[in-house]
Amino acid sequence: MSEGMIIFGAWVAAALTLFLFSFLYKDNPFFKVAEHLFIGAGMGWYFQTVYYKIMVPKILEPLNSGTGFEIAMVIIPSILGLSLITQFIPKISWISRYGFTFLMGYSAGMAIPVGLATDFMNQVLGTIEPFANFFSLSGFEMFNALIIAIGTVCVLFYFFFSVEHKGVGKKVSNIGIYFLMVYFGASFGNTVMARFSLLYGRFDTLVNYSSAKYLYATSWIAAGLTLFFVAEKLVKTLTKAESAE
Amino acid sequence: MKEIMHKLLKIDRRYLFVLLTLSILIPIIKPLGLPNKSISKDVQNLYNFIDNLPAGSTIICSLDYDPSTAPELHPQATAIVKHAFKKNIKVIVVTFIPGSTGLIDELFEKIPQQYGKKYGEDYVIFPYMANIVAVLTQMNSNIYSIYDKDKDGKDLKSMPIMKGINNYKNISGIVNITGTAILDIWVAYVGDKFGVPVLGGVTAISQVGYGPYLQKGQIKGLLGGMKGAAEYETLINEPGKGTSGIDALNVAHLLVLALIIMSNLILVIFK
Repeated sequence: MSEGMIIFGAWVAAALTLFLFSFLYKDNPFFKVAEHLFIGAGMGWYFQTVYYKIMVPKILEPLNSGTGFEIAMVIIPSILGLSLITQFIPKISWISRYGFTFLMGYSAGMAIPVGLATDFMNQVLGTIEPFANFFSLSGFEMFNALIIAIGTVCVLFYFFFSVEHKGVGKKVSNIGIYFLMVYFGASFGNTVMARFSLLYGRFDTLVNYSSAKYLYATSWIAAGLTLFFVAEKLVKTLTKAESAE
Repeated sequence: MKEIMHKLLKIDRRYLFVLLTLSILIPIIKPLGLPNKSISKDVQNLYNFIDNLPAGSTIICSLDYDPSTAPELHPQATAIVKHAFKKNIKVIVVTFIPGSTGLIDELFEKIPQQYGKKYGEDYVIFPYMANIVAVLTQMNSNIYSIYDKDKDGKDLKSMPIMKGINNYKNISGIVNITGTAILDIWVAYVGDKFGVPVLGGVTAISQVGYGPYLQKGQIKGLLGGMKGAAEYETLINEPGKGTSGIDALNVAHLLVLALIIMSNLILVIFK
């Protein structure tokens, strides 16, 4: 890539980042431009990737140069896929049911056994397993196994509504709430960290683009945006003063 | 005094945005060099797994993140690929997210040169593929029934790196770096089903949710967010974007803690 294009890219990236951040001050036309560009560019990138990496090699090329069997293997799923689009034409939307039926059957067949094994059986096993050799575990492992087992039972009981939560049941259910609160707290803390990491990523790029190598892109654009907001405020104040007179 | 304190609680949030901006910008402009001393067990496990693989082994790196999560996940992917190259481990790159193709190109533009690695011999990049479940399932029978060409349309079977690679039996491990739920799919459809060790790198947000998989050993090791990347960079002794980000994260977290404590104290003392 030429040096000029790299600098141009830096200006575009810095401008779009600052335009989007400007929403934190208030809604403005620059934010709207960046927002629409983001959606448009994202869809464009997605479409070209899917077209050149999937549609061309997996559909168009076999149709052009494949054997009879290969062509049939492409045409059948393609027709099923295309049938989904008929959803948009009410008169023939019934055709889409064939595609959806295939999708439902295929997805359920793939997901149910695997989901049961991975997320249910294995997790139940993971909770029970440490108790099979409980006394050979270290003190910390014993404590860990007990906490997991108690937490699982209490949280499950909290979501079991066929028994009235009173007496001992209420206490178990309350312990379940504490476990959930710990989970939500840890989850929220990590969310804050993740958001700061993303912010750091953008700021790091902005600082990088404020160097002489990129012709001070960040600084110029930030100054331009500030000028715009100051000018806008001035115009509003003057207009208000004039109308008051 | 009470009035001032209560006004402070209703402060325009844009002042807080400015404080937060400064808390992240200042460490970038002038690094504080705060240490990153703790290495979590899950990060150590991932490091040990890669480190103990014999030279010449092949791993699949599934890099499934786009620019929206790149600040957290790109440093993770960079550190793991560097470690693999250091240990002379061959890397097959796959992706199931259209937005990650550009980031993968960027990643492999410079790193292989630093370690003298050649495309087609030491690493290869497969093209983006849709319908991950079908792809992962089919790859157990024959990788080439799904991927017959690389990302540039070159024949895969003729590449030296693919010699002896036909299905998961020839793969030593899967490392999935993702900001989506794709790691769950690798665990369910490849790790649990075919017994291939699965390791991951995820955003800090989703890190907590992988506890059950780690506890059961369905995931052998995990990097969480930028902190995970920094820890891995420490282990391979290659400071990068993860390590430099720790300064900013520490200061920003301190600011948030200070604000939470301050507002609670105001509420308690001046109620």
